[in-house]
Amino acid sequence: MFSFQNMTQEIHSWLSSLMSETFVMLVEMTIVGILAIALFAFLGLVLVYMERKVAAVIQLRKGPNRVGPFGIFQTSADTLKLVLKEGFMPDNVDKFLYKLAPFVVMITAMLILAPIPFAKGVQIWDINIGVFYLTAISSISVIGILMAGWASNNKYSLLGAMRSGAQIVSYELSAGMAVLSIVVLTGSLNLGDIIASQEDGWWIFKGHIPAWIAFIIYIIAVTAETNRAPFDMAEAESELTGGFHTEYAGMRFALFFLAEYINIFIVCAIGAILFFGGWMPFHIGSWTAFNHVMDFIPSFMWFFGKTFFLIFLIMWFRWTFPRLRVDQLLNLEWKYLLPISIFNLLLMTLVAIKGWHF
Amino acid sequence: MDASTILFYTIAAYILVTGVLAVTTRKIFRSAIWLLFSLIGIAALYFWMDLPFIAAVQIVVYVGGIVVLIIFSIFLTQKSGDQMPKPILGRTLPSALASFFGFVFTINLIWHHGFIENKGILFDPTVDSIGMQLLNTGEGGYILPFEVVSMLLLAAMVGCIVIAMKVKKEETI
Amino acid sequence: MISFLKTYFTEVFQAIKSLLSGMKLTGYYFTHPKNIITEEYPDNRATLKMADRFRGEVIMTHDEKNEHACTGCSACELACPNGTIKIINKFEINAEGKKKKAIDAFVYHLELCTMCNLCIVACPTDAIKMSPNFEHSVYDRRLLTKQLNHEGSKIREGVE
Repeated sequence: MFSFQNMTQEIHSWLSSLMSETFVMLVEMTIVGILAIALFAFLGLVLVYMERKVAAVIQLRKGPNRVGPFGIFQTSADTLKLVLKEGFMPDNVDKFLYKLAPFVVMITAMLILAPIPFAKGVQIWDINIGVFYLTAISSISVIGILMAGWASNNKYSLLGAMRSGAQIVSYELSAGMAVLSIVVLTGSLNLGDIIASQEDGWWIFKGHIPAWIAFIIYIIAVTAETNRAPFDMAEAESELTGGFHTEYAGMRFALFFLAEYINIFIVCAIGAILFFGGWMPFHIGSWTAFNHVMDFIPSFMWFFGKTFFLIFLIMWFRWTFPRLRVDQLLNLEWKYLLPISIFNLLLMTLVAIKGWHF
Repeated sequence: MDASTILFYTIAAYILVTGVLAVTTRKIFRSAIWLLFSLIGIAALYFWMDLPFIAAVQIVVYVGGIVVLIIFSIFLTQKSGDQMPKPILGRTLPSALASFFGFVFTINLIWHHGFIENKGILFDPTVDSIGMQLLNTGEGGYILPFEVVSMLLLAAMVGCIVIAMKVKKEETI
Repeated sequence: MISFLKTYFTEVFQAIKSLLSGMKLTGYYFTHPKNIITEEYPDNRATLKMADRFRGEVIMTHDEKNEHACTGCSACELACPNGTIKIINKFEINAEGKKKKAIDAFVYHLELCTMCNLCIVACPTDAIKMSPNFEHSVYDRRLLTKQLNHEGSKIREGVE
């Protein structure tokens, strides 16, 4: 059967026959970096197009339908426009931080990509503390936003950055709790192990009600963490004219925009890995025949299918729910999500100790 | 000199340069950002040593926690965008002397004792063993410091709530 | 304590319920694309059907004998909030030798009109109405000043 593992092994052995170990590593790192950037660009185009189409259909519109068949080249045209735009910089900004901020946000998004298994045997870095690494790195991205808001020398930007900081710092807690409850069930932080533990069924089915509560809390918290509506306090187009990226134009703005969509992809990928088994096909206990049929669908299809389902869910939220006020937002986190997720974690620990899960 | 050594010196130089920039820059927000980069460099050093857990803790606690708090408090202060005045000689001199003597002291220690070569793995840096050690009540366990720290954090949290809590005023008619 | 927990959990469940009902509606729209109401305007120009009550411009109805029902009473001119309508009257001498008021020109400034419908309401003889035509773009602003009564038209018999 077709496997990515053989392919990477072959490339590695071919490179090893050509040069020394250090250079093999450098070349491989370059290849992986280029692939990651290519994936980013592709995801950016696809997700923006998807968002516009989903929004349009939900609002009884048609969405982009002029550039190419069904408007599929609309986002490419937009990107071209952004690239050709002047990199405008207002007076009296902190030039160094202003230029640095989009890169901090972007590099953070790229770093989070490292431990995610895209298919069976396709993982950039099989790090032992996978989940913890993800939470650690994702806490840096708020600094990029704070930096952008500060350096723009604009009240709206600063307010947007402050809101975004408060929001991300608080929602990280309940997202972390939801992630922990799956880690408690698996007993490992390694993403590969977490996926392997779901061979006979995904955690959302095996983990009873606590897993469902954890999933709901996770999806709410990550919607807030990626600063998307109904939690888009950081951008708040209606009151802050764009929040932290008000003063950005051209490619620098495009980097923020791209990072937002990449972050959506990443949090949905993590959600798919933790609750829906990542690239693991849909298996039911001991139904061997059924499981074999499911195995014929390639693993990367499973992974991207689940991830895009979750992305669609988050887009569905965005185009359905009314926005929250900033105090309601903090109330939701500190009065509802956090206590519930703490009790849910305790419940999950009980389930794990007693072995009540399947 | 192999690639690993080159990497080490690169990271070390990065930490030192950003650290020096953090204390010499005259804009307070930039200072916080340089501090952030310096702390990320230390995390990189932990990754270089193949201790991913400690590195991730470094990032969570210092980068995601402390620096964000520092940035928030900078945002809330007035005139945070202005250039700081030049430090007066009375402060520069003692601090320069202090760091110089600290440097000399460290060099002296290294000079006299040297480094012990690491033969094989001396400790087990996996999450499992760290967790076990942390909650171990037996020999070499860290349960007491762990509990003391959690009591401290609890006290701090209660203190925060007391400060933030509004006392309901008696209604006067 | 019990009552607090009770209200807390009812709040949570009601919130989830109301969110789900919202998602049900948008989910219905998403899965039923035939509901899409977008008009691809320049492409479907041949088949475009405007709504009955759409207000595109004011027109004066003329029958096949080139007769209209406007008596020149200027009620519409008075009703118009921003001076869109200007009625220029003349006096005709009819068969019985009497002088009778009639319109010479019903001048309509489309560029000033807000389609508020007040003139149509004010008209006592239903001489004017709203037409659904909305393609008004021209290269010269003067072309937007229109004369609504046709050339050589006259008032219909019996309309007072």
